[in-house]
Amino acid sequence: MPELKIVVCMKVVPKPEEVGVDTETMRLDRENARSEMNPPDMNALEMALDFKDRYGGSVDILSMGPPFFSDILPVGLAMGANHIYLLSDRGFGGADTLATTYTLAQGIRKIGDVDLIFCGEESSDGATGQVPPGIAEWLNINQITMVNRLDYDAKRKMVRGQREIPGGHQIVDTPLPSVISVATASNEPRFMDYRIKPSAFEDDRITTWAAKDMDVDPGLIGEPGSPTIVSGLDQAPSRERRMEFIGGTPEDIALKLAEILEDRL
Amino acid sequence: MSDKVIDEIELPADETRVLMTDPPQSETVELEALVLDDELWDQLIELTGGAAAPCYQCGVCTATCPWGTVREEPLSVRTMMRQAQLGLFDGNEDLWLCTACKQCEVYCPRGVPIADVFRALRQLAWERQQVLEGLPNVLWSVYWNNNPLFQPPSQRTAWADNGQLHDFDPAEHEFLLYVGCTASYDRRAQNVARSVVKLLNASGVKYGTLGEGEPCCGEAVLSMGHSPYFEELAAKATSIFQEQKVKKMVVISPHCYDVFQNHYGELKDTVEIYHYTQLLAELVESGRLELGASPELKATFHDPCLLGRGNNEYEAPRKVIGAIPSIELVEMEHTGIDSLCCGGGGGRMWMETEAGERFSDLRVQEAVDIGAEVVVTACPSCIACLEDSAKAQGLKDLRVLDVAELAVLGQDGALVEAAND
Amino acid sequence: MARMALLWKRLMTENVKSLFGVDDEAKAIWVFLEQMGGSLEGVGLELLAQGRRMADDVGWQVVALLLGDQIGHLAKEAIAYGADEVWLAEHSLLKDYTVDAYGGVVCDALMKGKPSVFLAGATPNGRDLLGRLAVRMRAGLTADCTDLRLIADTGVVISEVTGFGGGILALIEAPTHRPQMSTVRPGVFPLGEPDASRGGHVIDFQALLSEDMLQTEVVETVVGAGVDLTQVEALVIGGRGIDGNFDMLRELADALGGDIGATRPPVDDGYIKRERQIGQTGVVCRPKVAIVCGVSGAFHFVVGIQDADTVIAINTDPEAPMFEFADYCIVGDAAEIVPALTRALTLERVLSA
Repeated sequence: MPELKIVVCMKVVPKPEEVGVDTETMRLDRENARSEMNPPDMNALEMALDFKDRYGGSVDILSMGPPFFSDILPVGLAMGANHIYLLSDRGFGGADTLATTYTLAQGIRKIGDVDLIFCGEESSDGATGQVPPGIAEWLNINQITMVNRLDYDAKRKMVRGQREIPGGHQIVDTPLPSVISVATASNEPRFMDYRIKPSAFEDDRITTWAAKDMDVDPGLIGEPGSPTIVSGLDQAPSRERRMEFIGGTPEDIALKLAEILEDRL
Repeated sequence: MSDKVIDEIELPADETRVLMTDPPQSETVELEALVLDDELWDQLIELTGGAAAPCYQCGVCTATCPWGTVREEPLSVRTMMRQAQLGLFDGNEDLWLCTACKQCEVYCPRGVPIADVFRALRQLAWERQQVLEGLPNVLWSVYWNNNPLFQPPSQRTAWADNGQLHDFDPAEHEFLLYVGCTASYDRRAQNVARSVVKLLNASGVKYGTLGEGEPCCGEAVLSMGHSPYFEELAAKATSIFQEQKVKKMVVISPHCYDVFQNHYGELKDTVEIYHYTQLLAELVESGRLELGASPELKATFHDPCLLGRGNNEYEAPRKVIGAIPSIELVEMEHTGIDSLCCGGGGGRMWMETEAGERFSDLRVQEAVDIGAEVVVTACPSCIACLEDSAKAQGLKDLRVLDVAELAVLGQDGALVEAAND
Repeated sequence: MARMALLWKRLMTENVKSLFGVDDEAKAIWVFLEQMGGSLEGVGLELLAQGRRMADDVGWQVVALLLGDQIGHLAKEAIAYGADEVWLAEHSLLKDYTVDAYGGVVCDALMKGKPSVFLAGATPNGRDLLGRLAVRMRAGLTADCTDLRLIADTGVVISEVTGFGGGILALIEAPTHRPQMSTVRPGVFPLGEPDASRGGHVIDFQALLSEDMLQTEVVETVVGAGVDLTQVEALVIGGRGIDGNFDMLRELADALGGDIGATRPPVDDGYIKRERQIGQTGVVCRPKVAIVCGVSGAFHFVVGIQDADTVIAINTDPEAPMFEFADYCIVGDAAEIVPALTRALTLERVLSA
């Protein structure tokens, strides 16, 4: 049986609580924010590694971002992935999801013969959730989104995913190749294996591709490839707990709470 | 048994009869599981420096283990030792029951460092990905957030009242105050940190902290058995202390204190490490800190395992309590080297202990039995467990306080006097 | 200034172009009406109401796009809620949502109708569909929007979105690409009043589908099974203070379409199963709303819901630490407040039904 070739799309993000907005310049202030691996991508990697444990194959990490991503992505290798492909180029910068998914799709094409692509459901910064279906569309392959469980039928070369829907779940079958977006917190990512961690941070474990190394249309990457633009930025109302006391009779309180709940749900 | 005897026995015609020469049923089943694993044995020797070898299966450890007080069938520490010796890996739940209280070590006639052996077995569990659910998340929290409590690193100093803390400067400060993750983030433990700060200020000790840059000591990681990651954390923390030219360190949690003293290699050779009760004891003895009149209270001291049995420090906290007039100090039934563990060690603050199996339930009862109004202790985990138990048992009149909190209780007036002397 | 510079830069490069442009657009707001098992999802109706408001400001049309199998009866409902037109595509292969079937049909419809704006609820299916379609049409897509504004003189939609865990608000637009697509967070826009007398017409849109076009198969749909508190949006949590009265909490949870959880003491006392324990040694979750009743607020519990969007705490003790971690604090007896709240919510539901 030919080996399953799996790619996991991962992204390094700033810790959300450390990002602010400079209201004068209307720019994001993430200079001093600590970085971490996008938490849903860790769930995606865990699902991929578990898949590899159960069915065999190889797991590579694909990422689009600036060079400093190479300081953090090797965490995934220490968890058990084989290799990192980092797509890094000034020309990729300023991309919205259309351009990002195009670039990632071209990266997957360059890796070649990929059977399964796992992505986190969304990223903690933009939180669009648009990358997994976008990649599937560019590659013209199948997709199952919001998956919390995945099984493989080698004979039929299909995957069966359990997909979360409000109030329950669906079981969906689709043939390979396919994109799978993994539901946030749907598993517990394994901690790094310290027997392999030292080798994870060595240079030969990452391949970096610039635009010139890839087959990309300059009009589809970065800013030129992005229909959407950000025309305003603001700090959201404080995340500190309000600690607002509500008084009155139980009925008064109930009415006020009902209003708040209608608003929040 | 000779064949002749067997021939004379009238055996039932029943097909399920078991001949006397057949081995007992249970052994037949176990023989299949008893596969000796040389590789595992070698790993265990290496990991523990041969620590399990001296065990001669006397069973004193099982007899002294506090799990025997809450379970019908106690945790068989002896069986764990045997499995370790034979190189077997069970990977079952019992492996995670050990609270590293060291009650067994105190009585082991062969001096086996039993807690170390449990940790070594846990390390193997990590390698085989057979750890309890929830533990990998704790390690990831340490990795991304520099604390095992899922709290944002940017909030590490939020506990301190504004302007109270100064960044450590070796030229100005005698001590580094190492706050630790629990005292920094756990609301209840934050009060201990604030109390320690008050007392240090009152005594005129010059100290500073590392603020957001304070590295997690890694005790949770060590207790859960991930030694390689712990070593990495220890190396990082040590180099930070070295860079900052720390010569003396005062530590709030005995968990942090224990790893710095016993698992950080040569750190203790270059840095004088104090548990804060030891520093307070010195300050009280030298008269730099006077603890004024307090409400009359009958108190008992619960020795945290990592301070008492773990580091042989039973005196310092009692000296501090003793220096507070009108506190009557009484001892519980299990005291000194026999002090009953609260159940929070060995990483168990991140594992669920079923109701009815909590050592701290028994401990608070011991406090009530000797008529104590306050249980005093010197560890944030002990406080959490004991308070929880007091509440669950409906012991409304039993208070749980940290030594520092007791000292500060109703002392503000007296402390200001001491500072002005 | 920065925006102008960006637009200028774009004009200078050969940029990606959408399949149809501003010049070809119909002045219409299209709303994808998601349906499951023959009932319309609420968010679709919310979007019809918002679409109606936006369209009325500028004299545009509102069109509902409805796909399914034997769901023609829903067209009337769509018109009552604000649609001028309903494009209805019925086919047996549209019975269950798959992007294989829906993607092609919706794309065909959009290419035929060429609306300026296309909206859908940010539901799992809505995001699954629009994420793919936006690429197919090379259009701009904003996700999980919390507000939409249609600028009268430019016909540009400005979407408000949150990012970075809700800490940042951004305004996003896609001025030169069509359709302007958005998925919208369910519950942000109020439902309008349905008006059965509203006029509108139904256009039967032919779905060109065949079996071999579908690779994905929905094998099974299960609703209401199992306990997974991490996926619940409204969590009602009971502590020691509710004295085991989880039935009362269950009624409130049902009224909110949520579930119940507990702190350690009631689990210890056997009132509720361990799998519902929230906290450091239990489940850690991030519901939209957590209503915490009779809980003192020990740190080990709070860790379990600290990332909830809104926390409401009810406790008889005014000094309860739980209040420090709550947005709305009620000093009172949960045994009185919770049933009153359940009544208020149920009444609200009955009145607006």
